[in-house]
Amino acid sequence: MVAVVMGTAAVLFARKIGFDPGHIQAFYLGSEATFAPPRSLAGLLEVAVPHLLAIPMLLFVTLHLVAFVSGARRRPFAVAAAITFACAAVVILAGFAIRFAWPGLAPIKIAAFLGLEGTMLVWLGLLVAAITGSEAAPPRAAG
Amino acid sequence: MRFLVQPAPESLERARPPVRVFLAFSALLIVAAVASRAAHGALTPAGLEQILEPVPGERLGPVALWEEVHQGAFLYGFLLLALGSLLAVCPVSSGVRGGFLWVATAAAFLDLGAPFLPVALPGFPGWAALRIGAFLVATCALLAMAGLAWTTFGREERASGG
Repeated sequence: MVAVVMGTAAVLFARKIGFDPGHIQAFYLGSEATFAPPRSLAGLLEVAVPHLLAIPMLLFVTLHLVAFVSGARRRPFAVAAAITFACAAVVILAGFAIRFAWPGLAPIKIAAFLGLEGTMLVWLGLLVAAITGSEAAPPRAAG
Repeated sequence: MRFLVQPAPESLERARPPVRVFLAFSALLIVAAVASRAAHGALTPAGLEQILEPVPGERLGPVALWEEVHQGAFLYGFLLLALGSLLAVCPVSSGVRGGFLWVATAAAFLDLGAPFLPVALPGFPGWAALRIGAFLVATCALLAMAGLAWTTFGREERASGG
């Protein structure tokens, strides 16, 4: 289900916003060409608030499971987890920054989204590898 | 989280009140999901087909379908993980626990995927009934898991194989 959530997130990002700074700016700032109005604060919050609950919880549970079932070492695990959480924070908050502060931050949103998807793919891979290999070797805590 | 699912009897005893409150909210969420679908007319094949195609020949955009899968997968995933983890430390046989988990998971995937059937295969018959059935099966299995966890969580005796 986590893979489905991440996969559909990528599809929605591509279809609704687009992996291109110009499309991202048009999505948040509006576009005369497509008659799209700029995003309101209320509209941005409507999307951000559920994601501020859902994404950290998803990451917390996934990382929690990886820490318990895989043999990940403490330091690399902490660094990778911090990168994932940082990407998540930037993805959620970048919309506000693009709309109200500086539209030039659009590439940061793309990078953060790709970083989040990429690191989540790695965590899921580690989880699957740990679970499928758990019969061969006993699990070890992260540290 | 580890505290909640630790198999030590004294820990389970302490964890029972928050677990039961969580289970009550989970049941409320499931009931609310059923009520929401009923309110939108999504519990009848005709209503569901009208949601997907509000005007004849004018289908709902794919973004709306993907958004529904995105939200649904999160909710199903969260409930399956939480209820499955709690049942893992309940004195319930692994067959019963695994049975509920697999039925709920399979039904959830069917529920999420069914709206894409008429898009991928135009004219696919019975997709709406399939989706409603899958949703109701998933709902019943999740409610049963919550009920089972409510009644058995924190009990000291453990069934063999559980």
